[in-house]
Amino acid sequence: MNRHCIGLALWIAFAAAPGLAQVDLSGEWASRYTWDFLERLPGPELGDYLGLPINNAARVKANSWEASTQTIPERQCIPHGADYLFSRAGFPMRIWAEEDPATQKIVAYHIRSYAWSVERTIWMDGRPHPSPHSRHTWQGFSTGVWTGNSLTVTTTHLKWNYLRRNGVPRSDEATLTEHWVRHGDYLTLLSYIDDPVYLTEPLMRTSGYVLDPQQQLEPFPCEPVEEVVRPEGLVPHHLPGTNTDIQEFPKKYGIAPEAAMGGAATIYPAGAKIGESSKRAGDSASNGLETLPVQKNVYVLAGEGGDITLQIGKDGVLVVDTGRVEMSAAALAAIRKFTGKPIHYIINTRFDPDHSGGNEAFGKAGSTITGGDVADDISDLEKGAAILAHQRVLERMSSPEAKQPFASLPTDTYRGKQKDLYFNDEPVVLLHQPAAITDGDSFVFFRGSDAISTGDIFVTTAYPAINLERGGSIQGEIDALKRLIELTVPAALQEGGTLVIPGHGRICDEGDVVEYRDMVTIIRDRIQDMRRRGMTLEQVKAARPTEDYDPRYGDGSKFIEAVYRSLGGNQ
Amino acid sequence: MRRAALAVLLPALLLAQEEEQPAARAKPAAPKTAREEAPIDLTGYWMSVITQDWRWRMVTPKKGDFPGIPLNTEGRKIANAWDPAADEASGEQCKGYGAPGIMRLPARLNVTWQDDNTLRMDIDAGTQTRLFHFHGSKTASGEATWQGDSSAQWELVRTKVPPHAPGPVRGGSLKVVTTHLRPGYLRKNGVPYGAGTVLTEYLDVFTEPNGGQSLLITTIIEDPQYLSQSILLNTNFKKLPDASGWNPGPCSAR
Repeated sequence: MNRHCIGLALWIAFAAAPGLAQVDLSGEWASRYTWDFLERLPGPELGDYLGLPINNAARVKANSWEASTQTIPERQCIPHGADYLFSRAGFPMRIWAEEDPATQKIVAYHIRSYAWSVERTIWMDGRPHPSPHSRHTWQGFSTGVWTGNSLTVTTTHLKWNYLRRNGVPRSDEATLTEHWVRHGDYLTLLSYIDDPVYLTEPLMRTSGYVLDPQQQLEPFPCEPVEEVVRPEGLVPHHLPGTNTDIQEFPKKYGIAPEAAMGGAATIYPAGAKIGESSKRAGDSASNGLETLPVQKNVYVLAGEGGDITLQIGKDGVLVVDTGRVEMSAAALAAIRKFTGKPIHYIINTRFDPDHSGGNEAFGKAGSTITGGDVADDISDLEKGAAILAHQRVLERMSSPEAKQPFASLPTDTYRGKQKDLYFNDEPVVLLHQPAAITDGDSFVFFRGSDAISTGDIFVTTAYPAINLERGGSIQGEIDALKRLIELTVPAALQEGGTLVIPGHGRICDEGDVVEYRDMVTIIRDRIQDMRRRGMTLEQVKAARPTEDYDPRYGDGSKFIEAVYRSLGGNQ
Repeated sequence: MRRAALAVLLPALLLAQEEEQPAARAKPAAPKTAREEAPIDLTGYWMSVITQDWRWRMVTPKKGDFPGIPLNTEGRKIANAWDPAADEASGEQCKGYGAPGIMRLPARLNVTWQDDNTLRMDIDAGTQTRLFHFHGSKTASGEATWQGDSSAQWELVRTKVPPHAPGPVRGGSLKVVTTHLRPGYLRKNGVPYGAGTVLTEYLDVFTEPNGGQSLLITTIIEDPQYLSQSILLNTNFKKLPDASGWNPGPCSAR
């Protein structure tokens, strides 16, 4: 008995070292660049889309890509996304496990890449993926489970990035599935990228690493600088049909030009049947309303209709936009579940049923407060919450055609560039954007919480709905997006920092706004060029200047028409 | 020193003693065949998916197009002298279809059990066959061949929570080591491998997000004759429901 116990204790002591060595992923992993050296280090050649099961929208976007776009300060520090970084670029990396001290179970794997010193977390504790309205990041949100001898990782919430580093896009709706498998000193990664926007079937790729205990990862700092002096607002890109650089690649290597343009039919041996990608889930991923924290005092109530921004603190509740009238009761109930504080301020970023429909209900549910913002006497307390907006919003809402109930009209307006409040211990600044979607749009900047509610000037679900009849314009929209980028300050690697609540869609940051600004600018440039060449509106629509973005933002015809007319075309 | 040695040996001896007793009582079971032991099912038809290195795999690249291949001086000299017409004239048109090169070609595979200890992989490109021999069922002998001699073993994964006995097998891979290869090409444009090449492969099967299956082959090529360092490659295949598309054809030097 004693002998058995001693033996057992000693056996534990000596055998407890890597008992799961076959599946222990920890260590310093080095890259091996052989066959794919050219793509991974110097980078792929322009026009090389070989082997990518992309659709035509991806092809159009890649063909319009201009390498110098990477020199725009807002783009200089954007790292590779999780898919490209680990399963294609394959830089040296370190993996370590984080254990729960009490149970010794692995809570997460952490990966630090040499490139940009990116750190990625793979959660192993069974936590769910965040809401569709949560922020996306370059590395996304990853969860892992062991299946057989491999770690299977699912990553969602990825920001826009690329499938290949020569402009072939990958959208922010992609899902990444990875299998990490270790064989002795070799670690292999097999990944599938399913992008319903730009792929016709999931893209499968692999990368290999070799264990190198002597490896040390150096810091990889990145700070944007002005690399190229260029006119303000210029977004580098090629107009359709003008990119001759892409023709060089197939000529140089004797490859059929159509093969160089990729497509699922080119990735299999002859005679193969091709698969298909997932269908888009649609823009409104949630049937109900959910309240999500944004940052410090600021929250978002997201779901059907426009996003409702909440600022909550000791003074009460400030609401930016009130959603559709039919969702008022549910929205108020959601707020009441979250806080019992009274609603004192409502701010409308514009006049629109999606954003001001709930004014009356929200106003009645709240109460105004005494102070510099109350123009009347103390009896205002019975008049409900104050409704703030730009003067143009009041003018449009109070016109006979608008048929808005009196109780929904703004009670306090401003005419200048901005209006300041101080509420819940932070400055709240309304910033007028004079000619974007309409002539009465405002950003609402929570300076202490470092968050901006944008109204429909910036959305993640559609093209901007520029309303020319109400004073909107394409140049005003671009100017407003530029202003938004000036106001936002990203944290490291062009993400985080100032957060942005769009008029519709998920929580964002500057990186998302830059992608949207570039999209709007590129489409404006294309339509402007077509107008210069004398094309009518119908001809412009037929030329599909939004083709590369339509799978992401939907039918672009209204946007094309608004841009065309805004540029002075009336045909 | 002696204390340390005792500490190392003692537990092993004690446990060995404990384990001997039941072993003496029970009749030893017949060893499992490779087919019975298989932790994964590799059988069926597979098709290569060429999403990477397309330029060097889907078409035969031009002479001298071998960036990234760690060829030594001798290897570069041979690659730069590639002459497909000469290969055809000498009946050597299958040089690009040897085991180190064939898995990178666009191809379909048909994997079956030839017997309980031999896994057979037929490849339609060049109509080649690779045999993976388990339990030392074949040793290298005779003339070197394009597909060489492959010894195979399952790499089984079990949960180990000391001091308990290892848990049941919960997955695994196939490891294949191939030697005795007839010199040929790593890449069809004449990038050479020599007779002393050792090819080590790990085969894994994964379920795709859409429910299909993928075969991943991790390959390490060591060639002291023409390579200045080993090559690590990954090649992936997609499972097919049946033999449709199976298209055996002759080797082509071009």
